[in-house]
Amino acid sequence: MSRPLASVSGLAGLTVPGSYGAKVGELGVTIAERTGLGIATVAACKGKSEALKAAARKAYGVELPERSIVASGRDILFIGTGPGQWLAVSEKYANEELARELAGRLQGLASVADQSGGRTVIRISGPRARDVLAKGLPIDLDPRVFPSNGAATSTISLMGVQLWQADDTPAYELAIFRSLSGSFWRWLAASAAEFGYEVKPG
Amino acid sequence: MRIKCPYCGERALEEFTYRGDATVKRPRSLESDAAEAWTDYVYFRHNPAGLHREHWYHGAGCHAWLTVTRDTRTHEIVAVEFADKREGT
Ligand SMILES: [Zn+2]
Repeated sequence: MSRPLASVSGLAGLTVPGSYGAKVGELGVTIAERTGLGIATVAACKGKSEALKAAARKAYGVELPERSIVASGRDILFIGTGPGQWLAVSEKYANEELARELAGRLQGLASVADQSGGRTVIRISGPRARDVLAKGLPIDLDPRVFPSNGAATSTISLMGVQLWQADDTPAYELAIFRSLSGSFWRWLAASAAEFGYEVKPG
Repeated sequence: MRIKCPYCGERALEEFTYRGDATVKRPRSLESDAAEAWTDYVYFRHNPAGLHREHWYHGAGCHAWLTVTRDTRTHEIVAVEFADKREGT
């Protein structure tokens, strides 16, 4: 069998690790691409919701969320993106391996589609992360209304995003369509500049 | 105008697409004597000053079809449900 295609970041050539923007006070924002992730969409087959939930519980020890929150299963995150729909993200099952893994375990219960070549995932963290996102995301991320396991599907500057909170630093992870990586990056760099930001290697 | 999606929560109008009257029923018959029913279904709409049940699609969010009850005089939204009752269950 021939060697599989090597994965190339949607941000290749656009991001260079280093410090950028304002250099006063503490660093506002840290940005890092998450590369090599397995990404897949999971959609429940009609009438199979309960069986699917049972299979996910058994295979990954996770309760598939019925609202827009993120749930951690064994080696896979499941993000609620719509009724009967989830975005699955994994480090262990890298690239298209995740879709293969899920399709095998959830056969007949859910439609699984590989998205690992179609999304770019960016982690935005630090004390000013919310201020940066507030410039484009029409959703309030304040902890009083957005839970620490919260997720949302919406738009930033008219670009579709799927976002979930990764920790209380706070850190957020955003999946954007790969072909919009450049446009999104320009929006992010411009929006983070006033707070000072560091780009970490992916 | 903001719509409170039963899945996503309150979202701005730009995230949704309007489809129209949620109360019209597609005729079952394709026979020629059903022409009048088809004309009603495709072309004729009431234009109420008051409550209107209508379909909206949450295209920039959860991709669900919603049935929204809106007051056409004030744009006040009095109810939002999944158009497909099986969704979210
Ligand atoms: Zn929605």
